Parts: sequence; C-alpha cells; structure tokens
Amino acid sequence: MTALVSFRDATLGYGQHAILRGFSLDILDHDFLGIVGPNGAGKTTILRTFLGSLKPLAGTVTIAPGLRYGYVPQRDPVDSLFPLRVLEVVLMGRYDRIGLGRRPSAADRDLARAALERVGIPHLADRSLNALSGGQRQRTMIARALVGEPNLLVLDEPTNGMDLVATTQILGLVRDLHERTGITVVMVSHALNEVANYVERIALVHEGGHTVGTVDEVMTQQSLSAMYGIPVEVSSFDGHRIVVAQRTREGNRHA
Amino acid sequence: MLDAVLLFRDALYGSLIIAVTCALLGVYVVLRRIVFVGAALAQVSSAGIALAYWLAGHGIVAGFAQHPEALSLAATLASVAFFAGAVRGPIPPDARIGVWYAAAAAAGILLIAKSAVGEAHDIFLQGNILGITRADTMELLLVSAPVIAGQVFFAKELLFTSYDRETARTLGYRVRLWDLGFYLVLGVVISISMQFAGVLLVFNFLVLPAVTGLLLANGMTGTLLYALGAALLAAVAGFALSIPFDLPTGPTMIGVSAVLVMLAWLVRRVQRRG
Repeated sequence: MTALVSFRDATLGYGQHAILRGFSLDILDHDFLGIVGPNGAGKTTILRTFLGSLKPLAGTVTIAPGLRYGYVPQRDPVDSLFPLRVLEVVLMGRYDRIGLGRRPSAADRDLARAALERVGIPHLADRSLNALSGGQRQRTMIARALVGEPNLLVLDEPTNGMDLVATTQILGLVRDLHERTGITVVMVSHALNEVANYVERIALVHEGGHTVGTVDEVMTQQSLSAMYGIPVEVSSFDGHRIVVAQRTREGNRHA
Repeated sequence: MLDAVLLFRDALYGSLIIAVTCALLGVYVVLRRIVFVGAALAQVSSAGIALAYWLAGHGIVAGFAQHPEALSLAATLASVAFFAGAVRGPIPPDARIGVWYAAAAAAGILLIAKSAVGEAHDIFLQGNILGITRADTMELLLVSAPVIAGQVFFAKELLFTSYDRETARTLGYRVRLWDLGFYLVLGVVISISMQFAGVLLVFNFLVLPAVTGLLLANGMTGTLLYALGAALLAAVAGFALSIPFDLPTGPTMIGVSAVLVMLAWLVRRVQRRG
C-alpha cells in the first residue's frame, strides 16, 4: 500500500525541546490507525508535525503529493461563543475549494447537507451549533472534515469529555465511514481501551519510545507491560479487548 | 432640534461612518476575545495624539498640530506588531496587553498634562465629534470604505481563521497572516477614528453594538446586522439627544449603546423563558 505520510527516524518537538526521538511510522492509504498514549507522550506533536504546523527537528517527514486532510479538532479549542449554525460550520470544510472572496454556491450547500446525511444528522442543518449535544457537535465536525473530500481523515481526541453512549456512537461512526468508503483514518487518543477496539493498527507512544503494529501485535500483556513499565493485563470480553493495570503489592493502582 | 442636527450634519455622517466601521470589526473583536486589545490600541492611539500635540506645542515638530494622526497611526501600528506576534515566555497575553494599556494611558495623560495645545485635552477624554468637518468625513470614508468592503469580501476567510485556527491551517490558510491583517486593519480604524471620537467612544463602538448583536441573533449574519443597527441607532439617537439637552455627544452615544445592550439582554431573557 502507498504511504500517505512517512516519518523516518524523526526527532519531533518544539523549538529546541525534543519530545520524540527516532520516530518512524508510515500512514498507509486505507489505513485505520490509532495514535495512542498517555498525556504528554507526544501524540499532539506527531499530529502537528504531519499536519504541517511543526517541522521535524531531525530526520524526515514525507507527505504524499496532493494529500488533503479532513481534520476534526479537539472539542475544547472550538469556540462556543461564535453564533454559528450547523450548516455554516460544515461549509467551512469547503472554504479553500470555494476560493478567496467567493461565496458558497448551491452545490456547496448540497454537499454540506450530504455530509450531514453521512454522519446521521441531516435534520440538524439549521440548528445552532451551541444547542447541540457533545456527540452531535462531534458529528458536525466530522461532517465538516468530510465535505472537503479528503483522502486522510484525522481526529484529535474525538471522544474527549463524552459519555459512554456518545463515545461508542462516534467511534462506531468513524469505523463505519472507513469500512464503507475506504478513507484513511488516523485517530489520536489517550484512551487505549476505546481506540483499540475500533482501529486496525496502533502506534503506541509513550515517554521514551513507541511501538507500531496491528492491534493484535501491540495489545499484548508483554508488550504493554514493557511499554508502560508496570504489570498490565489484557482481557477480552465479548470480542472487546480491555486493558487493566494490575494492582501492585502496596495496593496502588497505576492506571 | 432638526435644525441643530442639520447644522452638524457632517459630524453626524462622520459619527455614522465610525459607528458602522467599528461595529462590524467589533463583532470579531468580541468573538476573538480581544476586547482588551481594542482598549489598549485606543489608548496607544490617544497617546500618539498626545505626543503629537506635545511635540507641536513645544515647537519640536510644529506640523504635528495639524496632523496628529500621523504619530497616532505609527504608535498604533507598532503596537499591532506586538499584539499579533507569537506569545512566548512566562507572561500571559492578557497581562502583556495590560502592561501596554497602563503604560499608554499614563504616557498619554502625562503628555497632555504638559501639552501647550488645549485641544488635546478634549480629544484625549471624549474626542471632538461635533468638530468633524466635510473633509474629515471624506477622510473617514476613505479609510472605512475599503475596510467594510474587505470585511464583506473576505467574510468567510475572516470567520474561519477566527473560529477554528487549527483546522483553517490544515486547509492551507496562513492564519498568522490573516491575524496580522486583522490587527492592522483594526489599528488603522482605531487610530483614524480616535482623533475624532476619543478613546471611550471608539471603544464603545467596538464592543457594545457587538454585544447587542450577540445577545439578539443566532447566526453570524444576524449578529453583524444587529450590531450594525445598534451602532447606527446609538449614533443617531446620541446625536439627536445631545444637542437639545446640551449633553456631550460622545458619552450620550455611549449611554444609548448601553441602554440597547440592556434591552437586548432583557429580550434574550424573555425569549429563553418563553
């Protein structure tokens, strides 16, 4: 498969401060990849590097020509003060295609409504974004990412602050989109238990290193225990993997 | 009253131009949460005017008495570069703006205290809105027309880069450049408006109509239209009330703006209960 993004022995970080060293990863066409790790491990640094906001401090990051991102940001940075309707927000995903100084056409609006249909909320097009639930807002942002016809969908902590039902629905929606259309998906999350049951490959990032492989390769007791430096148990229930940190002798729970 | 209004019709036209331009920009000032930047830029601009009068009054650069806007604009644009720059270091952005605001306000007051030109006192405190002439109105129009046209033409780009910078960046928008452009336009508008309207009135038109719009509308277009309407109404009503009652025009316009904000707040409360 073609690599859309390739990190080769890259040092990633901000200014002179390296957060990840020797980082290598291929994001392949039709991939469904989860970049997972604890807060501060460097997930956002990886994300910002391949989105172009950061340059690698060393090594190479190669982006396939013509690659177009559909980006779903974390919920927090999206400002709820703006009085925007759902359709207006979705249309933003086409702004660069519409061109400088031009207004969205009827065709653009039709595409925005179609994107809302794909994420299951066509009836909310004229509602205020601020009146929606967390899950509905996240569907709006996914619709906005899709309406620009991307070849790589990137979601940053897509289930942050959501309840169990909304989390399951959003992750199910993303997997469904990947399976139906074959779109490449990269999902960045700190929630290993959530992501591991949906993606096909995992890049597990932690302080001082990273492991990349299929879910079966990465989600093993030995691999995770070595990675986190504490005894970790991987259980399975009804086809779902559950990762649990074992209690230590002192009775402290690590994760 | 009509006669008095007609007598000062150039001043009214000038006020309307300032009101419209500041109100439209003000919606983005409020939404971007940079109200304090607007206040600081207005103070810097007034300090520039004060410096111009001080220099002119002491015979250092006599020409500044006729064109104080030159120094005002220079000081404002220098500050714009500071506000639009990247934020690094341990001092949070609002504290940096606060330092700028306090220093500019103090510098302005000190320069005015030692200024030999009495006119500077009025301009610094409340502007000289009734003193706007036909030539001033044309100058204001010359600045405001491209600003308003630009805001209409680049409406979606301005919205996107204000609302969701990270996503805009992934779609190829040079967000820092758009920021710089916005701040530059804001600086020019504040600087030009300041010399006629004063710190308080410019700040009023940047903030209060936008707040009225946000309280009343549900969408961006509605917010901009309500802000525009509130600014125009405040300018006209403030103007019309100030002349027969012998009130200072600028503060009267601010009073009307404040009443409109309160009415909008009441309407919103009633709507929510209903």
